[in-house]
Amino acid sequence: MERLGGTSGGRFFANMIPVTSGLIGVVVTNLPISLFGGWVLSPMYALMPIYYWCLVRPDLMSPGWAFLIGLVHDVLSGAPIGLWAAAYVATYAVIDWQRDGFAGLSGWGAILGFATATLVACTAHYVITSFYNWQVMAIGDSVQVFAVTAILYTAVLPLLGWLHRKLVGPLRSEF
Amino acid sequence: MGNGNWRISRSRGRAHLPLIVVGALAVFVILFGKAETALFNRARTNVADWMRPSLTLVRMPIQVAGRWLNSVGDFFFVYQDNMRLKEENARLRQWHNKAIVLDERLKRYQLLLHAVPDPAMSSVVARVIGRANHPFLQTMILDAGRANAVKPGQAVIDQRGMIGRIYLTGERTSWVILLTDLNSRIPVSIEPNTDQAIMTGDNSPMPLIETLARGVQLKADAQVVTSGDGDILPAGIPIGVIVPYGNTYRVALFADQTTAQDVEIVDFKIKPETQPPVTQQDLPVTAAGLPPVVPPPQRTGVTPPPVLPPVFKAPAQVPPKPDTPPADAGTDMDVPDTGNQ
Repeated sequence: MERLGGTSGGRFFANMIPVTSGLIGVVVTNLPISLFGGWVLSPMYALMPIYYWCLVRPDLMSPGWAFLIGLVHDVLSGAPIGLWAAAYVATYAVIDWQRDGFAGLSGWGAILGFATATLVACTAHYVITSFYNWQVMAIGDSVQVFAVTAILYTAVLPLLGWLHRKLVGPLRSEF
Repeated sequence: MGNGNWRISRSRGRAHLPLIVVGALAVFVILFGKAETALFNRARTNVADWMRPSLTLVRMPIQVAGRWLNSVGDFFFVYQDNMRLKEENARLRQWHNKAIVLDERLKRYQLLLHAVPDPAMSSVVARVIGRANHPFLQTMILDAGRANAVKPGQAVIDQRGMIGRIYLTGERTSWVILLTDLNSRIPVSIEPNTDQAIMTGDNSPMPLIETLARGVQLKADAQVVTSGDGDILPAGIPIGVIVPYGNTYRVALFADQTTAQDVEIVDFKIKPETQPPVTQQDLPVTAAGLPPVVPPPQRTGVTPPPVLPPVFKAPAQVPPKPDTPPADAGTDMDVPDTGNQ
């Protein structure tokens, strides 16, 4: 199967896939459908593409895109503007800082790597929200979202891997 | 850059620069968003209006699939459900008849007492096209907005009770702040003594009862309804029941806000209360039968003649009352005196 990167138009669409997958993650997070019947908070689907593409194609998932995805998340969720955007940028900074460590993980290690990134995102969001509201927030919700997001990454990872292999392709410098 | 277009041109050092810039931008957006809430809310409603078709489109197949999956599960319990529903229907019919009788009686009492009628209410049924169930935030997006006469402050209910209230409206979409949200404050009344309180959300499934009068002891399972204070929400919308929780009280909500798909937006058409213009008849002096005080003449040269207000005059001739009322006295009392007697 030929990748989309074969032509200039196809390359453009292939390059947009990481950002589009992040935006789709935001929409799915805010759909009125819950896998758990509403008993569990929505997982951060948008963080999964940010983490994945930041590791494998950082040229296509820049901090600006992470910021934009967070901003759309804020707009669609009704949250005060900038909270998720700041949390995603903070997470991106940690992933970028420890990229070699995260990228070298495989199997369950990869899941643990994403769990670490999720922990950073949840902590950043908790701290920023606490400062924003100027009160110590209950930590239970953040713990719940952390657990659900880390577990569901195992289901989303094959899809992201397929997109990477079949449509987007690796970096030329990796050849 | 000798490897063609695919070569990554940014080095690690250069990658950190935009990160710092983006981080600063994020902080700026948070601060600016807190200062200019209205601006971002307008942007938010515009984006929601713009995304409404896609949200509806994405929601539809997932909802159909969900219903189909649920129906497969329900197939095995059709007989039990049918028996339960028949029994429930018979019980509800009894309650329905009783409610009709009580409603008629209530209307008669209101008529006898000249009670102020309940304000007229209309409603709009809307679909939930978006739901944020995130930490510290619980909102919904509905597919009805200003075009459907939806306004901020209106109550949102499902078939069981209140879910929340509208806080933002776009042209075709509106945002609901749920009762459990951290920013939700609702004046409530707790039956049977109509104890007044404020119900506040704290992101837990059961909102907290606050600002209760000192010494008031609430009973478990006491019903909580909207009080209608402040004319923000209509009075009497069922919310939930009281659950004692340590030294505090919480409310177990009737409505299931996590699974509600179709909701009703209640338009509370209360008429603005306008004060009637004050006349001389309303002054206590005039009402006592005394002439009102004439204002002193002004010192200017030419003063207009004072306009004397109309003074209440007692009727000149009062027809003598008969010693014994005639048989049709009740009708005579209602006939005004025309002076032809």
